[in-house]
Amino acid sequence: MKKRYLIGGLILIILVGYLLYLSFGSSVSYYVTVSEFFARGTELHDTSVRVAGKIADSPVEWNAEDLELKFTIAEGGEAMTVIYHGAKPSGFIAGSDILVEGKYHSDGIFRAGQLIMKCPSKYEIKE
Amino acid sequence: MATIGHIALILALLAAIYTVIASLAGTRFGFRHLVTSARSSILTVFGLYTLALALILYAFTTKDFSVKVVAEYASHDLPAVYTLSALYAGKAGSMFFWGWLISLFAAWLVFQARDNHQRIMPYAIAILAIIEAFYIALVTFGVNLFEKHPSPPVDGFGLNPLLQNFGMLIHPPLLYLGFAGFAVVFALVMSALITRSPGMGWANHVRHWTLLAWCALGIGNLVGMWWSYNELGWGGYWAWDPVENAGLMPWLLGIAFLHSIAMRRQRNYLQIWSFCLITFTFAFTLLSPFITHGGIESPLHGFYGSPFPPYILAAILITLASSLWLLYSRRHDLEREEKPASLISREGSFLLANIILVVLVFIIFAGTVLPQAIGALGWTKIALERSFFDRTCGPIMLILVFLMGVCPLLGWGRSVWSSAKRNIMYLFLAILVIAVAILISGIGNWYIAVAIVCGFPFFIILQEWYRGTRARHHTRGENFIRAFFALINSNRARYGGFLAHIGIILIALGVIASSFYGIERTATLDIGESINIGEYKLTYHELTLKQDNVKVSAIADIIVNRSDGLKGIMHPSYDYWFSHEDHFTEVAVRTTPAEDLFVSLVWTGFDPKDKSATFRVLVNPLIVWIWVGGGFFLLGGVFAFSAKEKQLFGVEV
Repeated sequence: MKKRYLIGGLILIILVGYLLYLSFGSSVSYYVTVSEFFARGTELHDTSVRVAGKIADSPVEWNAEDLELKFTIAEGGEAMTVIYHGAKPSGFIAGSDILVEGKYHSDGIFRAGQLIMKCPSKYEIKE
Repeated sequence: MATIGHIALILALLAAIYTVIASLAGTRFGFRHLVTSARSSILTVFGLYTLALALILYAFTTKDFSVKVVAEYASHDLPAVYTLSALYAGKAGSMFFWGWLISLFAAWLVFQARDNHQRIMPYAIAILAIIEAFYIALVTFGVNLFEKHPSPPVDGFGLNPLLQNFGMLIHPPLLYLGFAGFAVVFALVMSALITRSPGMGWANHVRHWTLLAWCALGIGNLVGMWWSYNELGWGGYWAWDPVENAGLMPWLLGIAFLHSIAMRRQRNYLQIWSFCLITFTFAFTLLSPFITHGGIESPLHGFYGSPFPPYILAAILITLASSLWLLYSRRHDLEREEKPASLISREGSFLLANIILVVLVFIIFAGTVLPQAIGALGWTKIALERSFFDRTCGPIMLILVFLMGVCPLLGWGRSVWSSAKRNIMYLFLAILVIAVAILISGIGNWYIAVAIVCGFPFFIILQEWYRGTRARHHTRGENFIRAFFALINSNRARYGGFLAHIGIILIALGVIASSFYGIERTATLDIGESINIGEYKLTYHELTLKQDNVKVSAIADIIVNRSDGLKGIMHPSYDYWFSHEDHFTEVAVRTTPAEDLFVSLVWTGFDPKDKSATFRVLVNPLIVWIWVGGGFFLLGGVFAFSAKEKQLFGVEV
């Protein structure tokens, strides 16, 4: 009886481990700030990456026809131009923390598939 | 007045500490009057806590901006309904309200068990008093809830518009109800372990409190999903955000615990397992505030600059360490455990479900915590996309749904294949019917697998009901309707469970359909232009600008046509709130049993001359069944809750 449980447990662990390994590998991406991104040179170009920064004061361009949002994020003295296909989410205000997920292309523009407003003060006053 | 509130809380803290000492010393050294005084003092904690609650609510209702939290979260234009929301929108207020619920439950427990369970109650009271003391200390010394504003403003900052929603009014208290309920279960189970009382007398209390906590938490999570869907404008309801995961994990562990105690009623299985489960369930309820207060980065929800995380983390670790140590030290007192004779039996399938649930929670926990932990340990920071959770948890959840169908087919004890054979026949017949139906309707391949997985347990449950009803009809001559109600009434725990299972199946159906078969389009339209999506044609007819002293709104008129005619007019809007200097969308949703049409207005220039506007349109199939499923599992929970003790311990459950 005991042996059977042991074997069952082992199979379970292997299955779960394999599932985790498969999904972890394909879903994981580097998480860096803007300055960390540039500090690595071209290493992170053309790979899926999550970049954290603040929305810069520079004007945000919104092209309603092509649904293209172009803005700049900055952190640690570095700035990055981001293009996102979609409208401004709530909380998209100059100075807010933002996470952009996507790829940095050789033309010097980060094309984001997703914007996440990382706003710890979202439901509160900024102190 | 703020001072009175603060003093009331400090007195409540002292009373809670006295309760712990009196209750433990009284029962240890046999001073009955000390035990009695502990009971009174835990009621005193409740009284003082309630006074503090009344005072802070009064400050919110009268808009007393000399109290800092009121100035931060309320404003003169805040509708009265959202006074309570404004209380738990803040870091101190949320913990305060949660702590109050625990004190309410503790008082209720004392009242409920005033005549019996004398052995375990003093310990249960002491454990609850420790938990209460922790919460009160957080909101008096960690962050002072009643802190005065140095220079009271004329008007408060106001509540975030996203939180001014019915869903957000009831979502937090439902979660806190669930979390607080699990605190009571934890206290009861631990005191039974301390006093070496493995008997069944208190088991019914445990079951009741677990059902209450589990239902409240489940509905709370669903309401959160509903809010996210209807308020945030992204068209989804679940993002595998750490905050959401923190609400989901204790709920999943709660399911495992419910099933493990159901097994305990039958046989002496899984004692140690059950103790571990409730320990982790309770500890995991603390993950939620740990994350929202900034212990783990969550983009969805967070309190700014909260000092709580280290204390909460300490509380989690102390809880786990002390409970597991206690369990280890009592390992010889636990009754000899039986092992399920065969995996192909009711208890075998319960055991399997338990294991799968724990694996599921482990994966969610790893996905939530690992990326952060790796960063905190100094390695390269990584982020995990939601596809990780979809790929791992999706299949596991489907297996669980499938098990719901297998389980009723198997009897308790050694169930041999031959007795299950007839049932298996029905099963394959059901699968065949579904598969043929789907092939004929030509929906697609993926749907077949999913529909079989979801349809199978559904048919098994219906078949169980039918067979039971028919048996009663034959043996007692009752007509079918009467026989059906008499049947489910005869074993409310079992049939309540079935109802809850139907709820889960419906939720699974809605989740799968909307994740795999939803369609989405975004487009900028001028007045008169239209957009086609699925079978719908949406025409942008007009934009109305409205302004009051809170916000300026752009409200669109969208005419909805489908191949079979005019379906109505929808009014999504885009609001600019002056207080927050930001825009928020109010989505419009048209719900039918088959699909939701979801329209959100995501941009417009507020220009009376150029009314061009950007719309996001989604067709989400079967989504309404998620909410209907929630209704079913609430019904099932209530039904199981109402089961009589005799039914529980006599009849097969």
